[in-house]
Amino acid sequence: MTRNDHTKRGESQRRRFVRITVNGREHRFETNRDIAPGMTLASLLREKLDLTGLKVACDEGACGACTVLMDGRAVLSCMILAEEANGHDVLTIEGLSKDHPVIQAFAEQSEPGYGTALQCGYCTPGFVMASVALLRENPQPTMEEIKEALSGNICRCGCYAGIARAVLHASEMIAARGGQA
Amino acid sequence: MKTPYRPRVARTFIGQYRPRIDAMEKASGRARYADDIASPLRVPGMAYAKVLRSPHPHARIRSLDTSKAEALPGVLGILTYKDPEVATLKPTNAGWTDGVDTVSYETMMWRRFKDRSVLGDYACWVGDEVGAVVAAESEQIAEEALRLIEVDWEVLPFVLRAEEAMKPGAPVLHPEIAPQNVMPEDEVGGPHRFVDKGDVERALADAEVVVEGKATFHNTTQNSLDNWCCLIEWQDDQLTVWSNSYEAEQTRSHISEMLDLPLHKVRVVSSYVGGQFGRGDTGDQPFFLFTALMARKVGRPVKFKHTRHESFHDGRQQTTYTARFGAKRDGTITAASFHCIGNAGAHADHTMFPLKFAPKEVAEVALAHVPNVRFEAYGVYTNRVPACMMRGVGNSQLNLILGHMVDLLAERLGRDPIDIALQNFGHEWAPLPNDSLVAVLQKGAASIGWKEKRHLPGHGPSYDGTRRRGVGFSCHPAWHAEWQELRRGEVQVGITVNPDGTIILDAPTVETGTGSNTCNVLGCAEALRFLGVSPQDIHWESVIDTNTSSKDCVQTDSAVSFLQSEVMAVAAREVRQRILERAADALQLPAADLDVVDGRVFARGFPEEGMTVRQLLMRPPLVPIVVKLSRRPLAEQTGVPFIATFAEVEVDTSTGHVQVLHMVVVNDCGTVMFASGAEAQQIGGQTIGVGEALTEETIYDQATGIPLNFNWIDYTIPTMADMPEIDPVLLEVWRGGGEYGACGIGEGTVTCAPSAILNAIYNAVGVRIDELPAKPEKILAALEKARGGL
Repeated sequence: MTRNDHTKRGESQRRRFVRITVNGREHRFETNRDIAPGMTLASLLREKLDLTGLKVACDEGACGACTVLMDGRAVLSCMILAEEANGHDVLTIEGLSKDHPVIQAFAEQSEPGYGTALQCGYCTPGFVMASVALLRENPQPTMEEIKEALSGNICRCGCYAGIARAVLHASEMIAARGGQA
Repeated sequence: MKTPYRPRVARTFIGQYRPRIDAMEKASGRARYADDIASPLRVPGMAYAKVLRSPHPHARIRSLDTSKAEALPGVLGILTYKDPEVATLKPTNAGWTDGVDTVSYETMMWRRFKDRSVLGDYACWVGDEVGAVVAAESEQIAEEALRLIEVDWEVLPFVLRAEEAMKPGAPVLHPEIAPQNVMPEDEVGGPHRFVDKGDVERALADAEVVVEGKATFHNTTQNSLDNWCCLIEWQDDQLTVWSNSYEAEQTRSHISEMLDLPLHKVRVVSSYVGGQFGRGDTGDQPFFLFTALMARKVGRPVKFKHTRHESFHDGRQQTTYTARFGAKRDGTITAASFHCIGNAGAHADHTMFPLKFAPKEVAEVALAHVPNVRFEAYGVYTNRVPACMMRGVGNSQLNLILGHMVDLLAERLGRDPIDIALQNFGHEWAPLPNDSLVAVLQKGAASIGWKEKRHLPGHGPSYDGTRRRGVGFSCHPAWHAEWQELRRGEVQVGITVNPDGTIILDAPTVETGTGSNTCNVLGCAEALRFLGVSPQDIHWESVIDTNTSSKDCVQTDSAVSFLQSEVMAVAAREVRQRILERAADALQLPAADLDVVDGRVFARGFPEEGMTVRQLLMRPPLVPIVVKLSRRPLAEQTGVPFIATFAEVEVDTSTGHVQVLHMVVVNDCGTVMFASGAEAQQIGGQTIGVGEALTEETIYDQATGIPLNFNWIDYTIPTMADMPEIDPVLLEVWRGGGEYGACGIGEGTVTCAPSAILNAIYNAVGVRIDELPAKPEKILAALEKARGGL
């Protein structure tokens, strides 16, 4: 189906509203006015709510830079239509607290031998959200589990070693705080 | 083994293991990039531009009808090659500058090869920007409008392989420049035979041993996650550009020169950039020009952004090297002859940089002790995506053959290749063996377990019957030392000491991820130790604005990590003097009798008296101390240090799959400026190095000339699950001039990986792969051939 077909179909549809809870707050969008036919959740979050932490680097589900949490699960927001998010609960990196252990661990990683957990920073929000989802599901992952969970994300600067350390450190921080990611 | 490096000189801030200064901003998603700035919420009325791209590898537009596209609701304007503002643009290229210097139209680096017409009617690769650009209310409408443009194409024959393009009768791309597709000699790159020292043929004839080898480096791509993007506003006579070009001042110069606008009417703003890796966004890309013209035409800010597919429109130049080395039986190399054919793709741009410019430097700083050396290279036009500048430009290609030849020669002589390298490689400013190379190779060998793991080719231990392990290495001279950055001219730095003693640091450079921003802040804190400042007291501005910032020190050669700090070391002396003069006035004492230590000014010998710098500067009228300094890099020729990569691989002889098990990356840095950042570069570079060695490859349909895998599903970049354990090793052996005497390291970290991995594969299974990437089918075919099969 081409985008043109989407447009025609979209125009013929009845006006309706899409409700999405984003970072704890419910937003209402009108289809065809706020949400163009074929608009992805990534575009909606970036262009209508100015949540530009997530990045659209491939727009085809191959790099993980647009990862957000939907109902607690990591999803690729470039592969979900905005309308499909109707009734769901979305968490973006802006919804994490400033002292969130994953953010802190990514920022602080400088343990000798592993480099930093980020360089250009473009993939970082996606890695952070994928890590949050992992640690919620599995608070004390092994290195193999970390690699498995984060192998859908690309970091071209190649900070994988630093990222893996950061996730381990975040896991320790979460355990020390006795809380949840 | 993870052991922190040991600094040669104890310093307070320089060389630290610590987080990057932008770590929290980036980890929390707050850092803004061009695509975030060019957001419809932030730029009301923003229009979106899309350019027509050729579906053919070689074609000319006979005619073009835009009437249906113009009638599409939401289309704001269309510019075509026939519009006078487009048609009158000067011929150009995207080889204005390699990013070391900033240039004008007249002084562009590769001025001999102006083979690009901005939005012309002639297409010479699939994806070429030709004919028309559309602006619309949304990207989707702009795309739809492009589909409605009716183009009458004159489809021309095409050629994809350099060897075929060189043959008589092959389709010719740019007859006015290269009648047979072979680019002519030019004043910057020099003759085809651009190094010819001694008498190579005679030395080869006289040599006791001669080895011959071949190595083909393929056409990979940079894959910055941040797609090319610009936003241009042209109101009245003022043009403003926001972009992720990594060279703000060159972007300004390019637009000014091409659109004939005075510099003060062109403002360029650059923020964080999501990875660079040599991608050719030095500001000379034609899209800046047609986006600007479109912004004027529609009277709105216009955004132009590449898709992921379009971000494959640059890459590493494909090269095929053949080489002959002559040597004595004792391992002394007496002759080295290199012949190279470079497949430039459809435009010359920087072709001569990887083919001639970089190898010439390597010949100078690595092969100085080889008496007979010849380099010969030919750049060839083909109908592929133009490709040249990518991290490790020219050096990665050359190292592939260099590492191969060292391994070959060592095998022929029954020697350890490490000894062959030590016996022959070094620069002219120091005797052999070169101290830096000795340290780098010894450390690398010890860390990988060279002595225990290296064995005769194909005779290593076998695992599960089919898997065999081997180790290999490759080494290379590093670049760039300060003296190699002379062409950069003056590097500008400004230091403002606020009345409360905090610092505003004007050391502009586009932050592409390299970490030079953190080096700058550490360098500033180090230089201003007498003020008692620490890194958190210093603000480094991440946004460059050509109207207000000093000239940006271009993020190339990994050299910004120390060049600006060298200037700060000098500027700090001026800051000190200015503070003493202020204190002289306040304390009513001669400045010469005063001292400033740890943020206190006092009369020498009376450190308990005096006042704090803060007390001094907070006195009305609260005028900050401002020092701006421009300084050229030191010209003293100090040679360069060396780098090496060691790899251990496991090859499955039943599937051809290669797993890299362990890598050791060794850099002699001169001085480590920021240890965590340097290690991140060493480790990170291997993602490109391993990808280029094993999986990454752009693939074209030979029948149609259409690229097939310009996406991250079919073009496979290593992920966390694919990467081996990597040990980064930082050394300080060599020393350059200046306060720190450091050397850029980041770019070179990718260079030795492919060669080290191919040599390790040979060590493991005894078959040489001389063409990247070493995909399973190639390994299996080579194993089959070695067994005497097909």
